[in-house]
Amino acid sequence: MKDRGRYNAPQEIDGLSTLALGIGGVALIVWFVGLYFDPEQALRSWLLGFVFWAGIGIGSIGLLMLQFMTGGAWGVMLRRIFEAASRTLPVIVFMFVPLAVGVLYHSVYEWTHLPPTDHAIEARGIYLLPWTWVVRSLIYFILFGVMVYLLNEWSARQDRTENYEDAASLLARMSRFSGPSMVIFALTVTFAAVDWTLTLDPRFFSTIWGLLFVIGWVLSCMCFSVTILAYLSDKVPMDHILDKRHFHDIGKLMLAMVMVWAYFNLSQWLIIWSGNIPEETTWYLTRMTPGWFTIGVILILFHFAVPFLILLQQDFKRKPKLLASLAVFILFMRLVDMFFLIGPTPRINVPAGGQGAFIFSWLDIVAPIAIGGIWLWFFFGQLRSRPLVPVMDPFFQRAVEHGKGH
Amino acid sequence: MKENLYGLLAEFDSPTELVDAANAVREAGYTKTDAFSPFPIHEIDEALGIKRSILPVLIFFGGLTGTLLGVSLQVFVHYIDYPLNVGGRPFLSWLSFVPPAYELTILLAGFTAVFGMLFLNGLPRPYHPVFNVPRFALATREKFFLLIESADPKYGYDDTRALLQRLDPQEVFDVPE
Repeated sequence: MKDRGRYNAPQEIDGLSTLALGIGGVALIVWFVGLYFDPEQALRSWLLGFVFWAGIGIGSIGLLMLQFMTGGAWGVMLRRIFEAASRTLPVIVFMFVPLAVGVLYHSVYEWTHLPPTDHAIEARGIYLLPWTWVVRSLIYFILFGVMVYLLNEWSARQDRTENYEDAASLLARMSRFSGPSMVIFALTVTFAAVDWTLTLDPRFFSTIWGLLFVIGWVLSCMCFSVTILAYLSDKVPMDHILDKRHFHDIGKLMLAMVMVWAYFNLSQWLIIWSGNIPEETTWYLTRMTPGWFTIGVILILFHFAVPFLILLQQDFKRKPKLLASLAVFILFMRLVDMFFLIGPTPRINVPAGGQGAFIFSWLDIVAPIAIGGIWLWFFFGQLRSRPLVPVMDPFFQRAVEHGKGH
Repeated sequence: MKENLYGLLAEFDSPTELVDAANAVREAGYTKTDAFSPFPIHEIDEALGIKRSILPVLIFFGGLTGTLLGVSLQVFVHYIDYPLNVGGRPFLSWLSFVPPAYELTILLAGFTAVFGMLFLNGLPRPYHPVFNVPRFALATREKFFLLIESADPKYGYDDTRALLQRLDPQEVFDVPE
């Protein structure tokens, strides 16, 4: 492989990158105006956008390690997109700063305001203090950072190798690293999801919460990556690498992930419904009031039922543009899902009677656009910096052949 | 014209020859054809003009039957036939009906997949005339075979045999009924 340059991303990416930065920058300025007038709402909306976009970046670490463990053509084709998404970690940490500052100044989360004598706070002791919360988040970012750095470094080294023995030994190293790291990854995501979102309602607890985010973020990342892949599929150099069978395989994985998402959510709902304990049911009762109830029904129908039925069809999965349009739709439903989890939780400056009321602020649109624009700008830059496929990977040729199969 | 023949069987040395021959036979208008090889050849479906299986559709409706069966079973037992107060929950506790209905969906979809596949393939089939040709045993090892059945509307012993001979096979066998 002498001319590795011919596998670089197409020029069009630069245009998208600039566009994303422009939209994101404008939205960010608008968000700062919102922050001035209504800091709590602005930070809650920021949390919504952060959990959604950070989910794509962090989910990519999980998918990257998953494809090193399982192998398969889909992983070889998506690897560089996962890697580029995982290298957005600095942006994710940067986007976390407003939340950290907010928590240290006793905002965003209700528990930062509760008196130490409140039972929910007293029972948690030192675990739920603003500074321990921030320190824990930094530990999560360090753990993610180690995984991102090592996997990307070894992958870059694999590109520079001159013979297939070295390339194969680097692949073996990445696979060996991925197994144990996957356990740490799932645990870290669990702790992060609990800290960032479950503590919004300090009186609610759910042991499947972490898994809801593991699958949710992985699904987000898969939908995002297949959208990018479909965009690249008719441009040089990917037009003669990708074929319908690659998309078919990815479509099957999306179907499985949509089903697992529904399965975990149903598990939580069914167990809490059966248990019928006031501490837990309150969480669902709030979400069954007008407004939130509609969103819950929308999620069941459009985050599960409709994508499930569409993805059952083989022909649909084999058409890149159709699959990508469904993926964008699921991504939008992911954002609605995050809104459903974050929106109804207790607010600081609202009296007890008004807690859980349906509140939809214009900042809930602005903040995800601001974060998304800047995140995408950084992502596209990362995507441009390396070849779009791991050309030296021992399975690369076979993965290309796989796509042309039946 | 020979009597009581099931069809004609041509032997080839490579998968490429088999696919080329299958294409030629399909273009000549034959429909009751079949191919045999030691390993799957993806192009052969298209070459023989085999249409897509309706099995996925059957599995979908098998699964749907399972869902409806699961839901109606539970509604009948818990709501109509023997309503029982369990911890003060409503008789029509549809949320708890989901897991059994889901399991039945999977069960019937799985059964439809397995038994539908066997049925559509015409299995189990203890006798097939093609085994009357001794060399056909090589289809599991190194040779590739193309069969044209005598039931084919275009079939005529001499014409068909001549067509197969033109495809440059190793040999063309008569397959006795």
